[in-house]
Amino acid sequence: MRLPTDFNKILAFAARSALVNRRNIFAVFEMLFWPAIGIFSVGLLTRFLNLDAETVTFILIGAVSMNTIQIAQLDLSYALLYSVWAKSLKHEFMAPVRLTHILVGAGAVGLVRGLLVFVVMGFFSMWLFNMDLSRPGAGGLLIFLTGMFLNAAVIGASVLALVLRFGQRAEVAAWAFSYLMLLLCGLYYPVSVLPAWIGKLAQIIPLTYFLEYYRHFYGFSLNYPHPLLYGFSLSVVYLCVCYALVHYTLKSALHRGTLLRLSE
Amino acid sequence: MQTAIIAQGISKSFKTGFFQPRKQVLHDVDLEVASGAIFGILGPNGAGKTTFISILATLLRPDAGQARVLGLDVVRDAGRLRKRVNLAASGAHFLWCLTVEENLKFYGRLYGLGGKALSAKVGELLDLFELQPHRRVTFERLSTGLKQRLALAKALINTPELLFLDEPTSGLDPEMAGHIREEILRLNQETGLTILLTTHNLREAELLCGEVAFLKEGRLLARGTMADLQERLGLGDHLSLFFQDGVPALDYARLPGILVHKIENNRVDLKVDRAEERLAPILAAVSQARGRVVRVQLKEVDLTEIYHEITH
Repeated sequence: MRLPTDFNKILAFAARSALVNRRNIFAVFEMLFWPAIGIFSVGLLTRFLNLDAETVTFILIGAVSMNTIQIAQLDLSYALLYSVWAKSLKHEFMAPVRLTHILVGAGAVGLVRGLLVFVVMGFFSMWLFNMDLSRPGAGGLLIFLTGMFLNAAVIGASVLALVLRFGQRAEVAAWAFSYLMLLLCGLYYPVSVLPAWIGKLAQIIPLTYFLEYYRHFYGFSLNYPHPLLYGFSLSVVYLCVCYALVHYTLKSALHRGTLLRLSE
Repeated sequence: MQTAIIAQGISKSFKTGFFQPRKQVLHDVDLEVASGAIFGILGPNGAGKTTFISILATLLRPDAGQARVLGLDVVRDAGRLRKRVNLAASGAHFLWCLTVEENLKFYGRLYGLGGKALSAKVGELLDLFELQPHRRVTFERLSTGLKQRLALAKALINTPELLFLDEPTSGLDPEMAGHIREEILRLNQETGLTILLTTHNLREAELLCGEVAFLKEGRLLARGTMADLQERLGLGDHLSLFFQDGVPALDYARLPGILVHKIENNRVDLKVDRAEERLAPILAAVSQARGRVVRVQLKEVDLTEIYHEITH
Protein backbone atom coordinates (compact mmCIF):
# COMPACT_ATOMS: atom_id res chain seq x y z
CA MET A 1 0.00 0.00 0.00
CA ARG A 2 1.48 3.33 -1.08
CA LEU A 3 0.28 5.74 1.55
CA PRO A 4 0.39 9.12 -0.24
CA THR A 5 -1.30 7.62 -3.31
CA ASP A 6 -3.98 5.94 -1.24
CA PHE A 7 -4.46 9.07 0.81
CA ASN A 8 -5.10 11.08 -2.38
CA LYS A 9 -7.67 8.54 -3.56
CA ILE A 10 -9.46 8.72 -0.21
CA LEU A 11 -9.22 12.49 -0.31
CA ALA A 12 -10.85 12.47 -3.76
CA PHE A 13 -14.08 10.96 -2.40
CA ALA A 14 -13.96 13.02 0.80
CA ALA A 15 -13.42 16.29 -1.08
CA ARG A 16 -16.18 15.46 -3.56
CA SER A 17 -18.67 14.71 -0.79
CA ALA A 18 -17.71 17.88 1.05
CA LEU A 19 -18.07 20.02 -2.10
CA VAL A 20 -21.45 18.54 -3.00
CA ASN A 21 -22.69 19.19 0.54
CA ARG A 22 -21.37 22.74 0.49
CA ARG A 23 -23.08 23.52 -2.83
CA ASN A 24 -26.36 21.86 -1.95
CA ILE A 25 -28.82 23.95 0.04
CA PHE A 26 -30.75 20.78 0.88
CA ALA A 27 -27.69 19.48 2.71
CA VAL A 28 -28.22 22.33 5.20
CA PHE A 29 -31.82 21.20 5.59
CA GLU A 30 -30.63 17.62 6.10
CA MET A 31 -28.13 18.67 8.74
CA LEU A 32 -29.95 21.37 10.64
CA PHE A 33 -33.58 21.90 9.72
CA TRP A 34 -34.96 18.37 9.93
CA PRO A 35 -32.91 17.36 13.00
CA ALA A 36 -33.99 20.57 14.73
CA ILE A 37 -37.64 19.88 13.89
CA GLY A 38 -37.18 16.37 15.30
CA ILE A 39 -35.61 17.55 18.55
CA PHE A 40 -38.13 20.35 19.10
CA SER A 41 -41.19 18.21 18.42
CA VAL A 42 -39.99 15.37 20.66
CA GLY A 43 -38.75 17.78 23.33
CA LEU A 44 -42.03 19.68 23.39
CA LEU A 45 -43.96 16.43 23.59
CA THR A 46 -41.97 15.42 26.70
CA ARG A 47 -42.75 18.80 28.21
CA PHE A 48 -46.46 18.39 27.46
CA LEU A 49 -46.45 14.93 29.06
CA ASN A 50 -44.66 16.41 32.06
CA LEU A 51 -42.10 13.60 32.20
CA ASP A 52 -39.32 13.34 34.76
CA ALA A 53 -35.79 14.41 33.83
CA GLU A 54 -34.45 10.86 33.32
CA THR A 55 -37.28 9.88 30.98
CA VAL A 56 -36.85 13.12 29.01
CA THR A 57 -33.16 12.32 28.64
CA PHE A 58 -33.98 8.76 27.62
CA ILE A 59 -36.23 9.98 24.81
CA LEU A 60 -34.00 12.84 23.70
CA ILE A 61 -30.97 10.53 23.48
CA GLY A 62 -33.04 8.56 20.98
CA ALA A 63 -33.93 11.68 18.99
CA VAL A 64 -30.32 12.93 18.88
CA SER A 65 -29.07 9.46 17.93
CA MET A 66 -31.58 9.09 15.15
CA ASN A 67 -30.58 12.36 13.51
CA THR A 68 -26.88 11.70 13.98
CA ILE A 69 -26.99 8.24 12.39
CA GLN A 70 -29.30 9.37 9.62
CA ILE A 71 -26.89 12.11 8.54
CA ALA A 72 -23.71 10.13 9.13
CA GLN A 73 -24.81 7.29 6.84
CA LEU A 74 -25.94 9.57 4.01
CA ASP A 75 -22.50 10.46 2.67
CA LEU A 76 -21.54 6.84 2.42
CA SER A 77 -24.87 5.90 0.87
CA TYR A 78 -24.57 8.76 -1.61
CA ALA A 79 -20.92 8.08 -2.50
CA LEU A 80 -21.92 6.04 -5.54
CA LEU A 81 -25.34 7.63 -5.99
CA TYR A 82 -23.60 10.91 -6.90
CA SER A 83 -21.83 9.02 -9.67
CA VAL A 84 -25.04 7.31 -10.75
CA TRP A 85 -26.89 10.63 -10.88
CA ALA A 86 -24.00 12.20 -12.80
CA LYS A 87 -23.75 9.10 -15.06
CA SER A 88 -20.03 9.08 -14.40
CA LEU A 89 -19.80 5.73 -12.61
CA LYS A 90 -17.67 4.10 -15.31
CA HIS A 91 -15.08 6.87 -15.06
CA GLU A 92 -14.75 6.36 -11.31
CA PHE A 93 -14.27 2.61 -11.71
CA MET A 94 -11.99 3.10 -14.71
CA ALA A 95 -9.54 4.64 -12.23
CA PRO A 96 -7.41 2.38 -10.04
CA VAL A 97 -9.54 2.82 -6.91
CA ARG A 98 -10.57 0.24 -4.34
CA LEU A 99 -13.71 0.04 -2.27
CA THR A 100 -11.73 1.05 0.80
CA HIS A 101 -10.98 4.43 -0.79
CA ILE A 102 -14.69 5.07 -1.35
CA LEU A 103 -15.76 3.80 2.07
CA VAL A 104 -13.12 5.71 4.02
CA GLY A 105 -13.31 8.92 1.96
CA ALA A 106 -17.08 9.33 1.92
CA GLY A 107 -17.39 7.84 5.40
CA ALA A 108 -15.04 10.48 6.84
CA VAL A 109 -17.30 13.29 5.62
CA GLY A 110 -20.31 11.44 7.03
CA LEU A 111 -18.54 11.19 10.35
CA VAL A 112 -17.82 14.93 10.44
CA ARG A 113 -21.39 15.81 9.45
CA GLY A 114 -22.83 13.33 11.93
CA LEU A 115 -20.64 14.74 14.68
CA LEU A 116 -21.79 18.24 13.85
CA VAL A 117 -25.44 17.18 14.04
CA PHE A 118 -24.77 15.46 17.37
CA VAL A 119 -23.11 18.57 18.83
CA VAL A 120 -25.78 20.99 17.56
CA MET A 121 -28.75 18.79 18.53
CA GLY A 122 -27.14 17.90 21.83
CA PHE A 123 -26.67 21.59 22.55
CA PHE A 124 -30.34 22.35 21.73
CA SER A 125 -31.47 19.44 23.93
CA MET A 126 -29.39 20.61 26.87
CA TRP A 127 -30.28 24.27 26.43
CA LEU A 128 -34.01 23.96 25.83
CA PHE A 129 -34.98 20.71 27.53
CA ASN A 130 -32.42 20.38 30.32
CA MET A 131 -31.06 17.14 28.98
CA ASP A 132 -27.77 16.14 30.63
CA LEU A 133 -25.59 14.63 27.91
CA SER A 134 -22.40 14.67 29.96
CA ARG A 135 -23.31 12.22 32.73
CA PRO A 136 -21.60 9.19 31.11
CA GLY A 137 -18.37 11.21 30.94
CA ALA A 138 -16.03 11.66 27.97
CA GLY A 139 -15.24 7.94 27.75
CA GLY A 140 -18.90 6.88 27.72
CA LEU A 141 -19.74 9.55 25.18
CA LEU A 142 -16.87 8.51 22.93
CA ILE A 143 -17.89 4.85 23.06
CA PHE A 144 -21.50 5.75 22.28
CA LEU A 145 -20.48 7.95 19.35
CA THR A 146 -18.20 5.21 17.99
CA GLY A 147 -21.07 2.75 18.19
CA MET A 148 -23.41 5.12 16.36
CA PHE A 149 -20.90 5.75 13.58
CA LEU A 150 -20.27 2.03 13.17
CA ASN A 151 -24.02 1.56 12.73
CA ALA A 152 -24.10 4.40 10.22
CA ALA A 153 -21.24 2.72 8.32
CA VAL A 154 -23.15 -0.56 8.19
CA ILE A 155 -26.22 1.18 6.74
CA GLY A 156 -24.13 3.19 4.26
CA ALA A 157 -22.21 0.14 3.05
CA SER A 158 -25.44 -1.84 2.58
CA VAL A 159 -26.85 0.97 0.45
CA LEU A 160 -23.63 1.00 -1.63
CA ALA A 161 -24.16 -2.66 -2.43
CA LEU A 162 -27.77 -1.97 -3.41
CA VAL A 163 -26.73 0.95 -5.63
CA LEU A 164 -24.25 -1.26 -7.47
CA ARG A 165 -26.98 -3.83 -7.99
CA PHE A 166 -30.09 -1.73 -8.61
CA GLY A 167 -28.75 1.74 -9.44
CA GLN A 168 -30.83 4.81 -8.75
CA ARG A 169 -33.77 2.74 -7.50
CA ALA A 170 -31.71 2.05 -4.38
CA GLU A 171 -31.90 5.71 -3.34
CA VAL A 172 -34.94 5.10 -1.20
CA ALA A 173 -32.97 2.49 0.76
CA ALA A 174 -30.60 5.21 1.98
CA TRP A 175 -33.41 6.54 4.17
CA ALA A 176 -35.52 3.45 4.66
CA PHE A 177 -32.76 1.28 6.14
CA SER A 178 -31.94 3.67 8.93
CA TYR A 179 -35.58 4.34 9.84
CA LEU A 180 -36.29 0.62 10.02
CA MET A 181 -33.24 0.00 12.17
CA LEU A 182 -34.09 2.91 14.43
CA LEU A 183 -37.63 1.66 14.87
CA LEU A 184 -36.45 -1.75 16.01
CA CYS A 185 -33.62 -0.76 18.31
CA GLY A 186 -35.75 0.99 20.92
CA LEU A 187 -35.11 4.57 20.01
CA TYR A 188 -37.82 6.25 22.08
CA TYR A 189 -38.68 3.29 24.32
CA PRO A 190 -36.95 0.41 26.08
CA VAL A 191 -36.79 -2.70 23.89
CA SER A 192 -38.63 -4.55 26.67
CA VAL A 193 -41.88 -2.88 25.47
CA LEU A 194 -41.52 -4.38 22.00
CA PRO A 195 -43.52 -7.49 21.13
CA ALA A 196 -41.40 -10.58 21.76
CA TRP A 197 -40.61 -11.34 18.11
CA ILE A 198 -39.61 -7.75 17.39
CA GLY A 199 -37.50 -7.88 20.52
CA LYS A 200 -35.60 -10.75 18.89
CA LEU A 201 -34.92 -8.54 15.89
CA ALA A 202 -33.74 -5.77 18.18
CA GLN A 203 -31.12 -8.15 19.55
CA ILE A 204 -29.40 -8.40 16.20
CA ILE A 205 -29.08 -4.63 15.83
CA PRO A 206 -25.87 -3.25 17.35
CA LEU A 207 -27.41 0.15 18.08
CA THR A 208 -29.77 -1.51 20.58
CA TYR A 209 -26.75 -2.31 22.77
CA PHE A 210 -25.10 1.08 22.40
CA LEU A 211 -28.33 2.86 23.38
CA GLU A 212 -28.65 0.52 26.36
CA TYR A 213 -25.08 1.21 27.37
CA TYR A 214 -25.50 4.99 27.18
CA ARG A 215 -28.83 5.04 28.91
CA HIS A 216 -27.68 2.92 31.82
CA PHE A 217 -25.70 5.94 33.05
CA TYR A 218 -29.07 7.60 33.62
CA GLY A 219 -30.33 4.84 35.88
CA PHE A 220 -32.08 2.64 33.33
CA SER A 221 -31.46 -1.04 33.84
CA LEU A 222 -29.67 -3.14 31.23
CA ASN A 223 -31.86 -5.60 29.33
CA TYR A 224 -28.81 -7.39 27.98
CA PRO A 225 -25.54 -8.20 29.74
CA HIS A 226 -22.25 -6.96 28.21
CA PRO A 227 -23.85 -4.49 25.80
CA LEU A 228 -20.51 -3.21 24.48
CA LEU A 229 -19.24 -6.68 23.71
CA TYR A 230 -22.39 -7.49 21.74
CA GLY A 231 -22.60 -4.04 20.14
CA PHE A 232 -19.03 -3.94 18.87
CA SER A 233 -18.94 -7.61 17.88
CA LEU A 234 -22.11 -7.30 15.83
CA SER A 235 -20.89 -4.06 14.25
CA VAL A 236 -17.61 -5.63 13.17
CA VAL A 237 -19.38 -8.71 11.79
CA TYR A 238 -21.88 -6.58 9.86
CA LEU A 239 -19.15 -4.32 8.51
CA CYS A 240 -17.22 -7.34 7.24
CA VAL A 241 -20.39 -8.81 5.71
CA CYS A 242 -21.27 -5.47 4.08
CA TYR A 243 -17.75 -5.05 2.71
CA ALA A 244 -17.91 -8.53 1.21
CA LEU A 245 -21.34 -7.76 -0.19
CA VAL A 246 -20.19 -4.52 -1.85
CA HIS A 247 -17.13 -6.35 -3.19
CA TYR A 248 -19.34 -9.11 -4.60
CA THR A 249 -21.83 -6.71 -6.20
CA LEU A 250 -18.98 -4.80 -7.83
CA LYS A 251 -17.59 -8.02 -9.27
CA SER A 252 -21.05 -8.98 -10.41
CA ALA A 253 -21.52 -5.49 -11.95
CA LEU A 254 -18.40 -6.08 -14.05
CA HIS A 255 -20.00 -9.23 -15.45
CA ARG A 256 -23.51 -7.89 -15.88
CA GLY A 257 -22.50 -4.56 -17.44
CA THR A 258 -24.16 -2.62 -14.62
CA LEU A 259 -21.38 -0.01 -14.52
CA LEU A 260 -21.99 0.79 -18.18
CA ARG A 261 -25.77 0.76 -17.86
CA LEU A 262 -25.63 3.13 -14.91
CA SER A 263 -23.40 5.48 -16.90
CA GLU A 264 -25.83 5.89 -19.81
CA MET B 1 6.18 -3.81 -34.27
CA GLN B 2 5.10 -3.70 -30.64
CA THR B 3 1.54 -4.68 -29.89
CA ALA B 4 -0.55 -2.60 -27.51
CA ILE B 5 -3.70 -4.72 -27.63
CA ILE B 6 -4.14 -8.42 -28.29
CA ALA B 7 -7.69 -9.78 -28.00
CA GLN B 8 -8.43 -13.40 -28.75
CA GLY B 9 -11.82 -15.04 -28.97
CA ILE B 10 -13.67 -12.40 -26.99
CA SER B 11 -17.33 -13.26 -26.51
CA LYS B 12 -19.93 -11.52 -24.39
CA SER B 13 -23.61 -11.96 -23.79
CA PHE B 14 -26.10 -10.18 -21.56
CA LYS B 15 -29.26 -11.21 -19.80
CA THR B 16 -32.29 -9.57 -21.34
CA GLY B 17 -34.73 -10.36 -18.56
CA PHE B 18 -36.12 -13.15 -16.44
CA PHE B 19 -36.75 -16.31 -18.43
CA GLN B 20 -35.41 -14.60 -21.55
CA PRO B 21 -32.54 -15.99 -23.61
CA ARG B 22 -29.21 -14.22 -23.25
CA LYS B 23 -28.34 -11.82 -26.03
CA GLN B 24 -24.99 -12.55 -27.63
CA VAL B 25 -23.30 -9.19 -28.18
CA LEU B 26 -19.78 -10.29 -29.18
CA HIS B 27 -18.85 -13.50 -31.00
CA ASP B 28 -15.29 -14.69 -30.80
CA VAL B 29 -13.63 -11.38 -31.66
CA ASP B 30 -9.87 -11.28 -32.34
CA LEU B 31 -7.95 -8.05 -32.68
CA GLU B 32 -4.41 -6.74 -32.54
CA VAL B 33 -3.48 -3.10 -32.34
CA ALA B 34 0.05 -1.81 -32.75
CA SER B 35 1.61 0.54 -30.21
CA GLY B 36 1.40 4.17 -31.23
CA ALA B 37 -1.44 3.59 -33.70
CA ILE B 38 -4.83 5.20 -33.96
CA PHE B 39 -7.10 2.24 -34.57
CA GLY B 40 -10.77 2.63 -35.40
CA ILE B 41 -13.57 0.20 -34.67
CA LEU B 42 -16.47 0.88 -36.98
CA GLY B 43 -19.92 -0.54 -37.14
CA PRO B 44 -23.61 0.27 -37.00
CA ASN B 45 -25.55 0.80 -33.77
CA GLY B 46 -25.70 -2.34 -31.69
CA ALA B 47 -22.65 -3.83 -33.41
CA GLY B 48 -20.90 -4.36 -30.07
CA LYS B 49 -18.32 -1.57 -30.36
CA THR B 50 -18.88 -0.13 -26.89
CA THR B 51 -19.06 -3.59 -25.33
CA PHE B 52 -15.74 -4.52 -26.92
CA ILE B 53 -13.98 -1.30 -25.91
CA SER B 54 -15.42 -1.63 -22.38
CA ILE B 55 -13.94 -5.11 -22.02
CA LEU B 56 -10.54 -3.79 -23.06
CA ALA B 57 -10.96 -0.86 -20.67
CA THR B 58 -11.61 -3.29 -17.73
CA LEU B 59 -15.17 -2.07 -17.22
CA LEU B 60 -16.71 -5.33 -18.33
CA ARG B 61 -15.60 -8.94 -18.09
CA PRO B 62 -15.76 -11.20 -21.13
CA ASP B 63 -17.64 -14.52 -21.01
CA ALA B 64 -14.90 -16.15 -23.04
CA GLY B 65 -11.59 -15.23 -24.59
CA GLN B 66 -8.58 -13.33 -23.40
CA ALA B 67 -7.36 -9.82 -23.90
CA ARG B 68 -4.04 -8.24 -23.02
CA VAL B 69 -3.61 -4.49 -23.10
CA LEU B 70 -0.09 -3.08 -22.70
CA GLY B 71 0.96 -6.62 -21.83
CA LEU B 72 -1.52 -6.91 -18.94
CA ASP B 73 -4.51 -9.22 -18.75
CA VAL B 74 -7.71 -7.14 -18.68
CA VAL B 75 -9.28 -9.35 -15.99
CA ARG B 76 -6.42 -10.55 -13.81
CA ASP B 77 -4.31 -7.36 -13.97
CA ALA B 78 -7.19 -4.88 -14.16
CA GLY B 79 -5.93 -2.82 -11.21
CA ARG B 80 -2.44 -2.36 -12.68
CA LEU B 81 -3.81 -1.73 -16.16
CA ARG B 82 -6.17 1.03 -15.02
CA LYS B 83 -3.19 3.14 -13.94
CA ARG B 84 -1.90 3.14 -17.53
CA VAL B 85 -5.02 3.66 -19.62
CA ASN B 86 -7.97 6.01 -19.69
CA LEU B 87 -11.27 6.54 -21.43
CA ALA B 88 -13.32 9.35 -22.91
CA ALA B 89 -16.80 8.67 -24.17
CA SER B 90 -19.44 10.53 -26.09
CA GLY B 91 -21.94 12.57 -24.12
CA ALA B 92 -19.47 13.56 -21.42
CA HIS B 93 -20.94 13.07 -17.97
CA PHE B 94 -19.38 14.40 -14.79
CA LEU B 95 -20.67 15.62 -11.46
CA TRP B 96 -22.88 18.58 -12.30
CA CYS B 97 -22.10 20.81 -9.34
CA LEU B 98 -18.31 20.55 -9.51
CA THR B 99 -16.37 23.08 -11.57
CA VAL B 100 -14.11 22.11 -14.47
CA GLU B 101 -11.07 22.39 -12.21
CA GLU B 102 -12.67 20.47 -9.35
CA ASN B 103 -13.71 17.65 -11.66
CA LEU B 104 -10.18 17.36 -13.02
CA LYS B 105 -8.77 17.41 -9.49
CA PHE B 106 -11.20 14.72 -8.42
CA TYR B 107 -10.09 12.38 -11.20
CA GLY B 108 -6.44 13.34 -10.69
CA ARG B 109 -6.70 12.25 -7.07
CA LEU B 110 -8.35 9.00 -8.10
CA TYR B 111 -5.14 8.26 -10.00
CA GLY B 112 -3.12 9.05 -6.88
CA LEU B 113 -2.01 12.56 -7.80
CA GLY B 114 -1.83 15.16 -5.08
CA GLY B 115 -0.27 18.43 -4.04
CA LYS B 116 1.85 20.29 -6.57
CA ALA B 117 1.89 17.42 -9.06
CA LEU B 118 -1.91 17.50 -9.21
CA SER B 119 -2.09 21.28 -9.55
CA ALA B 120 0.55 21.23 -12.29
CA LYS B 121 -1.21 18.46 -14.24
CA VAL B 122 -4.61 20.13 -13.96
CA GLY B 123 -3.10 23.48 -15.04
CA GLU B 124 -1.41 21.82 -18.02
CA LEU B 125 -4.66 20.19 -19.17
CA LEU B 126 -6.67 23.38 -18.68
CA ASP B 127 -4.18 25.12 -20.97
CA LEU B 128 -4.02 22.29 -23.48
CA PHE B 129 -7.78 22.16 -23.98
CA GLU B 130 -8.28 25.91 -23.62
CA LEU B 131 -10.37 25.41 -20.52
CA GLN B 132 -8.59 28.02 -18.37
CA PRO B 133 -11.32 30.66 -18.83
CA HIS B 134 -13.92 28.09 -17.75
CA ARG B 135 -12.04 26.56 -14.84
CA ARG B 136 -14.49 27.90 -12.26
CA VAL B 137 -17.63 27.08 -14.24
CA THR B 138 -19.69 24.16 -12.95
CA PHE B 139 -20.10 21.21 -15.31
CA GLU B 140 -23.86 21.72 -15.72
CA ARG B 141 -23.24 25.20 -17.15
CA LEU B 142 -20.75 24.13 -19.82
CA SER B 143 -21.64 23.91 -23.51
CA THR B 144 -21.59 20.47 -25.14
CA GLY B 145 -18.26 21.23 -26.80
CA LEU B 146 -16.63 22.31 -23.56
CA LYS B 147 -17.98 19.21 -21.81
CA GLN B 148 -16.37 17.04 -24.46
CA ARG B 149 -13.10 18.93 -24.11
CA LEU B 150 -13.26 18.33 -20.37
CA ALA B 151 -13.86 14.63 -21.06
CA LEU B 152 -10.68 14.50 -23.15
CA ALA B 153 -8.76 16.46 -20.53
CA LYS B 154 -9.93 14.02 -17.86
CA ALA B 155 -8.84 11.13 -20.05
CA LEU B 156 -5.28 12.47 -20.03
CA ILE B 157 -5.10 13.20 -16.31
CA ASN B 158 -2.97 10.11 -15.62
CA THR B 159 -0.79 10.58 -18.73
CA PRO B 160 -2.06 7.28 -20.16
CA GLU B 161 -0.12 5.10 -22.57
CA LEU B 162 -3.33 4.03 -24.25
CA LEU B 163 -6.52 5.94 -24.67
CA PHE B 164 -9.98 4.50 -25.38
CA LEU B 165 -12.26 6.93 -27.18
CA ASP B 166 -15.86 5.83 -27.49
CA GLU B 167 -17.52 8.00 -30.16
CA PRO B 168 -15.47 11.04 -29.12
CA THR B 169 -17.18 13.56 -31.41
CA SER B 170 -20.72 12.24 -31.32
CA GLY B 171 -23.25 15.03 -30.83
CA LEU B 172 -20.77 17.84 -31.48
CA ASP B 173 -21.15 20.51 -34.14
CA PRO B 174 -18.80 20.09 -37.13
CA GLU B 175 -16.44 22.84 -36.00
CA MET B 176 -16.02 21.44 -32.51
CA ALA B 177 -15.75 17.91 -33.86
CA GLY B 178 -12.95 19.15 -36.11
CA HIS B 179 -11.11 20.67 -33.14
CA ILE B 180 -11.40 17.48 -31.16
CA ARG B 181 -10.09 15.43 -34.11
CA GLU B 182 -7.11 17.77 -34.50
CA GLU B 183 -6.43 17.35 -30.81
CA ILE B 184 -6.55 13.57 -31.07
CA LEU B 185 -4.16 13.58 -34.03
CA ARG B 186 -1.82 15.99 -32.32
CA LEU B 187 -1.74 13.87 -29.16
CA ASN B 188 -0.94 10.77 -31.15
CA GLN B 189 1.75 12.45 -33.22
CA GLU B 190 3.43 14.34 -30.39
CA THR B 191 3.28 11.75 -27.64
CA GLY B 192 2.99 8.44 -29.50
CA LEU B 193 -0.16 7.69 -27.50
CA THR B 194 -1.96 4.58 -28.74
CA ILE B 195 -5.62 5.33 -29.38
CA LEU B 196 -8.46 2.88 -29.89
CA LEU B 197 -11.58 4.66 -31.00
CA THR B 198 -15.06 3.64 -31.93
CA THR B 199 -17.02 5.78 -34.32
CA HIS B 200 -20.01 5.84 -36.63
CA ASN B 201 -18.40 8.62 -38.54
CA LEU B 202 -16.53 7.14 -41.47
CA ARG B 203 -14.99 10.46 -42.45
CA GLU B 204 -13.60 10.69 -38.94
CA ALA B 205 -12.12 7.22 -39.21
CA GLU B 206 -10.55 8.14 -42.55
CA LEU B 207 -9.01 11.26 -41.09
CA LEU B 208 -7.72 9.71 -37.90
CA CYS B 209 -7.18 5.99 -38.21
CA GLY B 210 -4.26 4.22 -39.77
CA GLU B 211 -6.16 0.98 -39.49
CA VAL B 212 -9.79 0.06 -38.96
CA ALA B 213 -11.89 -2.96 -38.07
CA PHE B 214 -15.54 -3.50 -38.88
CA LEU B 215 -17.91 -5.00 -36.36
CA LYS B 216 -21.42 -6.08 -37.20
CA GLU B 217 -23.76 -7.98 -34.90
CA GLY B 218 -20.85 -8.73 -32.63
CA ARG B 219 -18.64 -10.26 -35.31
CA LEU B 220 -15.43 -8.81 -36.67
CA LEU B 221 -15.98 -8.76 -40.41
CA ALA B 222 -12.71 -7.27 -41.61
CA ARG B 223 -9.72 -5.25 -40.50
CA GLY B 224 -6.80 -3.52 -42.11
CA THR B 225 -5.58 -0.29 -43.61
CA MET B 226 -7.69 1.44 -46.22
CA ALA B 227 -5.38 0.12 -48.97
CA ASP B 228 -5.54 -3.44 -47.57
CA LEU B 229 -9.31 -3.41 -47.40
CA GLN B 230 -9.65 -1.86 -50.83
CA GLU B 231 -7.47 -4.55 -52.32
CA ARG B 232 -9.10 -7.37 -50.40
CA LEU B 233 -12.59 -6.30 -51.36
CA GLY B 234 -11.65 -5.58 -54.94
CA LEU B 235 -12.87 -2.05 -54.61
CA GLY B 236 -11.47 0.48 -57.02
CA ASP B 237 -11.20 4.20 -57.44
CA HIS B 238 -13.62 5.74 -59.90
CA LEU B 239 -12.08 7.37 -62.95
CA SER B 240 -14.27 9.01 -65.60
CA LEU B 241 -12.83 10.26 -68.88
CA PHE B 242 -14.91 12.70 -70.95
CA PHE B 243 -14.09 12.93 -74.72
CA GLN B 244 -14.77 15.67 -77.21
CA ASP B 245 -15.38 13.59 -80.35
CA GLY B 246 -16.65 10.31 -79.08
CA VAL B 247 -14.97 7.51 -77.22
CA PRO B 248 -11.92 6.12 -79.02
CA ALA B 249 -11.91 2.43 -79.96
CA LEU B 250 -9.75 0.76 -77.37
CA ASP B 251 -9.83 -2.48 -75.40
CA TYR B 252 -10.26 -0.82 -72.01
CA ALA B 253 -10.40 -4.09 -70.12
CA ARG B 254 -6.78 -4.77 -71.09
CA LEU B 255 -5.45 -1.48 -69.77
CA PRO B 256 -3.36 -1.86 -66.59
CA GLY B 257 -5.27 -1.93 -63.28
CA ILE B 258 -8.75 -1.78 -64.81
CA LEU B 259 -11.33 -3.67 -62.75
CA VAL B 260 -14.53 -2.61 -64.52
CA HIS B 261 -15.31 -0.33 -67.43
CA LYS B 262 -18.43 1.17 -68.97
CA ILE B 263 -18.81 3.27 -72.12
CA GLU B 264 -21.60 5.83 -72.32
CA ASN B 265 -21.91 8.51 -75.04
CA ASN B 266 -18.77 10.61 -74.81
CA ARG B 267 -17.69 9.14 -71.49
CA VAL B 268 -15.84 6.12 -70.21
CA ASP B 269 -16.27 5.14 -66.56
CA LEU B 270 -13.42 3.07 -65.25
CA LYS B 271 -12.89 1.42 -61.93
CA VAL B 272 -9.15 1.09 -61.31
CA ASP B 273 -7.20 -0.46 -58.47
CA ARG B 274 -4.99 2.59 -57.78
CA ALA B 275 -6.05 5.67 -59.69
CA GLU B 276 -3.02 7.82 -58.93
CA GLU B 277 -0.66 5.17 -60.28
CA ARG B 278 -2.77 4.18 -63.28
CA LEU B 279 -3.90 7.58 -64.54
CA ALA B 280 -0.80 8.41 -66.61
CA PRO B 281 -0.60 5.10 -68.56
CA ILE B 282 -4.37 5.19 -69.21
CA LEU B 283 -4.19 8.73 -70.60
CA ALA B 284 -1.19 7.73 -72.73
CA ALA B 285 -3.11 4.75 -74.17
CA VAL B 286 -6.16 6.91 -74.90
CA SER B 287 -4.00 9.52 -76.57
CA GLN B 288 -2.39 6.87 -78.78
CA ALA B 289 -5.87 5.80 -79.85
CA ARG B 290 -6.48 9.44 -80.87
CA GLY B 291 -8.97 10.14 -78.14
CA ARG B 292 -9.29 13.84 -77.14
CA VAL B 293 -9.90 13.94 -73.42
CA VAL B 294 -11.61 17.16 -72.31
CA ARG B 295 -12.13 16.33 -68.65
CA VAL B 296 -10.96 13.77 -66.12
CA GLN B 297 -12.97 13.04 -63.01
CA LEU B 298 -11.42 11.04 -60.20
CA LYS B 299 -13.08 9.78 -57.07
CA GLU B 300 -10.97 7.68 -54.80
CA VAL B 301 -12.61 4.82 -52.97
CA ASP B 302 -13.64 5.95 -49.51
CA LEU B 303 -14.48 4.26 -46.27
CA THR B 304 -18.20 4.63 -46.92
CA GLU B 305 -17.86 2.35 -49.90
CA ILE B 306 -15.74 -0.12 -47.96
CA TYR B 307 -18.18 0.00 -45.05
CA HIS B 308 -21.11 -0.60 -47.36
CA GLU B 309 -19.36 -3.46 -49.07
CA ILE B 310 -18.50 -5.14 -45.78
CA THR B 311 -21.63 -4.60 -43.75
CA HIS B 312 -24.26 -5.29 -46.43
